[in-house]
Amino acid sequence: MMETIGIWLAAFLTLSMFSFLYKDNPFYKFAEHLFIGASLGYGIPYTFFNVFIPYAYNPLFLKHEYILIIPFLIGIGYWFRFSNNLSWLSRYPIAFGLGIVGMGVPMSIHAQILVQMRTMMLPLTNINLILIFIGTVSILLYFFFSKAHKGVYGKFTSIGIWFMMIGFGASFGYTVMARLSLLIGRLQFLLSDWLGLIN
Amino acid sequence: MKFTDYIQKIDRRYIFIVLAIAVIVPLLFPLGLPTFTTPPVRNLYKHIDEAAGEDDKAVFMDFAQSPSTLPELYPMDLAVLRHCFLRDIKVFTISYYPQGAAIMQMALSEVKEAFPDVRPDYDYCNFGYRSWALRVPITLGIGDNIAEAVETNSAGRRLENLPIMGKIKNYDNIQVCIEISGASPGYLYINYARARYGVDVAIGVTAVSAADNYPYLQTGQLIGLLGGLKGAAEYEELVETFAVNGIPYSEKKAQNLSWRQQQFELSEVPYKFKRARIGMDAQAVAHVLIILFIIIGNVGYFIEKRQEKKKFIK
Repeated sequence: MMETIGIWLAAFLTLSMFSFLYKDNPFYKFAEHLFIGASLGYGIPYTFFNVFIPYAYNPLFLKHEYILIIPFLIGIGYWFRFSNNLSWLSRYPIAFGLGIVGMGVPMSIHAQILVQMRTMMLPLTNINLILIFIGTVSILLYFFFSKAHKGVYGKFTSIGIWFMMIGFGASFGYTVMARLSLLIGRLQFLLSDWLGLIN
Repeated sequence: MKFTDYIQKIDRRYIFIVLAIAVIVPLLFPLGLPTFTTPPVRNLYKHIDEAAGEDDKAVFMDFAQSPSTLPELYPMDLAVLRHCFLRDIKVFTISYYPQGAAIMQMALSEVKEAFPDVRPDYDYCNFGYRSWALRVPITLGIGDNIAEAVETNSAGRRLENLPIMGKIKNYDNIQVCIEISGASPGYLYINYARARYGVDVAIGVTAVSAADNYPYLQTGQLIGLLGGLKGAAEYEELVETFAVNGIPYSEKKAQNLSWRQQQFELSEVPYKFKRARIGMDAQAVAHVLIILFIIIGNVGYFIEKRQEKKKFIK
């Protein structure tokens, strides 16, 4: 019974969202606001029971691990964002958070920059590596604005534009596929789960 | 009104209707278009399949998902889990998103319906939801000891007491970390797990993010990539061809479309396990339609431009 109600509700909300394709209307607005509210409403108690209780309340108040008072107090600092006089206290948890971000910098540099550069420096033994080499160099030079894009240099940098256009085309093609997939997913739900037209 | 003027000013709602019809018809009457597989998907399948029947190897799945990404990512979840259950491959699942945890539970339940012999904590272990703030400590901690980093499964049982953990300790026993994600796919595992422990990483992503992640395939930081509904359809097809029939993976056979088509009858496959392939039928029709729209729009544009040029010359 509950499953049937859920399916009908989901179908109603899906159609409400689709109604925007005709024009803006109260059904769309209702579904949009409900989605945002439900997402937040779902996240807050879920986080409370799965994060606050097991990682803060239980160890501190049931197991008496008093060392946790320190991170607990640092975390509470965030709440002072709402006070005009004491908002400076919120900088401490932010600073602590940034410190953790800093921990990831060396690994990010390795994974996102050094390994990528290493691939660029391989011997040009196949067509893929040659294309990657030409594409990377021509795009880097295209964004080098201290020299006028004229003559042979200008022609070479214009190759960079072609590489970028192909890249944008690939991204856009994938984006079209993604958006259509969302439509297909919803229509599959309506046709199978709701209307039972697909087995 | 001239034809060129008409197509330049056509109400977009007519286009929506045509597109809806183009999607609905193939969903109701599947065309059964062939599914070609690509190297990033085949590599992932092959890599996972190599852990078949191994007690000391497991696949680690991270569900970084929300309902808005379900149409693309959920078929991937089902296909990868089904592959693992069919081939007796141990699976760990985790999510750092509240909504992702619910999707993870739904996917496990839906696949498990088809595998009554597969047992939680023996054949797979759901670590459940973990706070977003803990993702880095957990990812690094698994490198030393999974049971210490994650501590408990979703039911609150301590990992060290679970049978599945018998021969599994850390990343040395993880065949591959797969992040099926609608957010920033794979960066957590590429930056921390791969960079520090050398574990193999793969991702399943929405099509929007797929193009951005190809550089990581090129460098070998990713061993496989499932891109959008197409990636899910390819993986479904490989599972249907090899795992369902109990055939070990073969690169030559995977590339042989006519051989693959003889291995199963699509109409006999449960709908939940062919959702992406049916969806790709609709996708193909819609793509053809969009290409036609682009061509018609451009023809109209150039005819109009030419007419304006003629008027200017006169």
